[in-house]
Amino acid sequence: MWSILMTFIPSWKLIAQAFLLLAVPVLMILMSKVIRKSVVNTFALKPDSPSPPETEIGLANVPITGTYDSDIVTVRNAIGDQADVLIREIVISGTETRVAIVFLEGLTDSDLIDSHLITPLIHRGVPEEDRSSFHDSLSAYLTERLIPASDIKKSSDFQALVEGILFGQTGVLVEGLQEVLLIGTAKGKSRSLEEPMSEALLRGPRTGFTERISDNTGLLRRHGENGSLTLTKFQIGSRVKKILILAYMRDIADPNLVDEVTSRIQRIDIDDPIESGYIEQLIEDNVLSPFQQMQNTERPDRVIAGLLEGRVAILLDGTPFALVLPVTFSMLLQSPEDYYERWLPGSFMRLLRFLAALLALLAPALYISFISFHPGLIPTKLALSIIENRQGVPFPSFIEALIMEISIEILREAGIRLPKPIGPAMGIVGGLIIGDAAVNAGIVSPFLVIVVAVTAISSFTIPVYSAGLTLRILRFTGMFCAATLGLFGVVMFFLLICSHLVRLKSFGVPYVTPIVPYGFSDWKDLFVRVPLKIMKMRPVMFNAKDKDRRN
Amino acid sequence: MSGTSNSQKDQITTSQTAVMVINYMLGAGILTLPRTMVEAAKTPDVWISILISGTIILASGWIIVKLCSRFQGQTLFQFLPEITGRAIAMLISILVISYFLAISAFEIRIMAETGFYLLEGTPSWAIVMTFMWIGLYLILGGVSCLSRLYEIILPITLVFFLIAILLSSRIFDIDHLRPVLGSGITPVLKGIKPSLLSFTGYEIMLVALAYMKNQGKANKAMIAGVTVPVVIYLITVIMVIGGLSINGLEKRTWPTLDLMRSFEVQGLIFERFESLLLVIWIMQIFSTFTVTHYAASLGWSQMFNRNFRPFVFAMLPVIYLIAMVPKDINQVFNLGDMFGNVSVYLFGGVPLILLFVSILRKKGAKPE
Repeated sequence: MWSILMTFIPSWKLIAQAFLLLAVPVLMILMSKVIRKSVVNTFALKPDSPSPPETEIGLANVPITGTYDSDIVTVRNAIGDQADVLIREIVISGTETRVAIVFLEGLTDSDLIDSHLITPLIHRGVPEEDRSSFHDSLSAYLTERLIPASDIKKSSDFQALVEGILFGQTGVLVEGLQEVLLIGTAKGKSRSLEEPMSEALLRGPRTGFTERISDNTGLLRRHGENGSLTLTKFQIGSRVKKILILAYMRDIADPNLVDEVTSRIQRIDIDDPIESGYIEQLIEDNVLSPFQQMQNTERPDRVIAGLLEGRVAILLDGTPFALVLPVTFSMLLQSPEDYYERWLPGSFMRLLRFLAALLALLAPALYISFISFHPGLIPTKLALSIIENRQGVPFPSFIEALIMEISIEILREAGIRLPKPIGPAMGIVGGLIIGDAAVNAGIVSPFLVIVVAVTAISSFTIPVYSAGLTLRILRFTGMFCAATLGLFGVVMFFLLICSHLVRLKSFGVPYVTPIVPYGFSDWKDLFVRVPLKIMKMRPVMFNAKDKDRRN
Repeated sequence: MSGTSNSQKDQITTSQTAVMVINYMLGAGILTLPRTMVEAAKTPDVWISILISGTIILASGWIIVKLCSRFQGQTLFQFLPEITGRAIAMLISILVISYFLAISAFEIRIMAETGFYLLEGTPSWAIVMTFMWIGLYLILGGVSCLSRLYEIILPITLVFFLIAILLSSRIFDIDHLRPVLGSGITPVLKGIKPSLLSFTGYEIMLVALAYMKNQGKANKAMIAGVTVPVVIYLITVIMVIGGLSINGLEKRTWPTLDLMRSFEVQGLIFERFESLLLVIWIMQIFSTFTVTHYAASLGWSQMFNRNFRPFVFAMLPVIYLIAMVPKDINQVFNLGDMFGNVSVYLFGGVPLILLFVSILRKKGAKPE
């Protein structure tokens, strides 16, 4: 009896394995906790106490005296050494009042300064009958009668004057006036509306956002008369202050979502958010996930469509990329064209994209597992011809695939940097000639070249460029799994990705909706895009206030 | 006991509950079911046994739903003490937890055995550990994540499985199934027991029902959850017997896989389906493993009213060690039979008694 029981006591080897089984995930969880903690602590969302910003110009609360000579010296000391500051000193005609006009070259509209500031002051000046009363109400006279500009602010300390000038306003210092006039003459250069480079469509509007936020909000407003479009303004950035606009439809978007986004934006703590990618990374749910949790787009029509579904958009000054959130996995595979074309071609293209995404993710991994582990699974003739072609190849299929995949990634990266005229030529040289030469030299098999080419092309069908990047990274993981555990490894890889996807959330919306949970109302717009007449409701997953799409 | 609030946000829909039951039932059993049934009944009529046992399972599922809906929003582990008092509740809970652990370990062992079949030369612990770690990662997400994943993998596995098994119709011979009831009804009844074993899985309702968003539809979920496996099992058994005949499949360890191996299809992307089916079926084994692992860990945590996560980790090595106890595949199958028998009493009998006791002692709310 005892001896029978003894045989069931696990051996030391088993116990060691069991320990390993426990120790590895515990260590990994601890590690990810440490990483997450350090990431969250050093940046936004839960900032540790920031060091107070140091202001270089020590002008805080220095009042303007009204004594022309001393004031002009103060201004010169503060910003006179900046290369682009111009100080123009004139005298108002008809009086002996001296005036200094301080402005930035390049940021201000010099035509406007000439015609609406200098011309009236020097040319017209103060007429005879007003000269006696002019000095009594200097400031009011200037703004009300003399300077024909729409945007005039008054300020009484140097700090505001200097900041205003550096932001493109024109400062007007007047002798005997204890205030300074700041005239809005800012005129930055911006480009015209162009078709977005990264999201070209055959059918659909050709306008894209620009770098100037007023243009972008204008584009959203101009899309159509719409009383419920709400644009909330935030100023973010502690050193370089930038305007961020949160756009949503007042009577559609879920107020909880708007509150959540607002609170996350308010917690952003960074010197300068250069691009909307900064915002994305500072407010996203999961830093360690390879999947993006916000959709970036250059297309106003896409933003509007998102807002009408009950999502919200973030626009940042200085970038043409708006963020639309929350996002789910299936949305990254949707293109506006799916809706602009009729429903049959739209659905076809969408199915094609799902297939392409699958190929982009798994094709090389499947190749490796079939060649190295399960040649019996594919048709015999095909297996024979592949093996025959691979005869001269000195590497295992994993190394072979890795060589090709890495070189094609290098080609893709180079293609972005290459100047436009030689880009296509280099692509052909790289793709065709190197591929052909590699086969002839016996480094890779021709079948692999097909697989890699199909994979690369597939990954470009994904309408959101950054989602394509995610799939590219994961593809390499998949190849490692296939190389170590064959088809089993590929299935494990697939399960791991699925497990991650079902745990991931974007602003409270599970990343895999609407694929699961099964809901036929949201499936109308998933693999198949049903006719518009059937899509009467807004997606359930965003919890829109107004559920009916016909309103 | 921390009553009715089973974390409000972690809820699952009716279809998710049904899918969970389906995925739990469709585990490793399908690979061996035709053999175990034919061994017991020695007649091709075992498909009738499947229909009968499906009905039986529906009945005991109904009892479980009836019992659980008296205690809205509570799992078995939470409402047991109310019915029986602490000591007996503890005993039953530990039994149920051990059962879940054992099933989990059983799936792991089957994984190790068939994984070896798929990957010759790879040590089985490497296969099993990857499998369990991914399961762990998923389980930590909670019941809603589990059910979302099951909904993703169910259509994939079913489509592949149905295509593969229906392609075997080229070697299907209706004569292998004839004559119907040729040896009378008695062998059919003998086949009921082994088929009951492969229907274990409905017991997850004891836990899952507490998390349902719409608990009034629990019966619907149960019916759907049992019907789909019945249909799948029916197709499998009929195709395997029709393809291999009852004499042909008695000696085979994995008759369903052998069926796939015995035909080739020209002109498709795949020619042979046995590894393909196995690979796809790994996902089903994964779901059975994760749901039992989850249920066991949840059981411990609710029994002691403690945090759920440490138990998930602690159960990992336990499951692994249990899985490695049997020395060969026959012991594994014997163990599987044993669990099946236990399940019949534990989840067929005990809930009925509990239901009566709770009605007599007027515990729990009467479902409207």
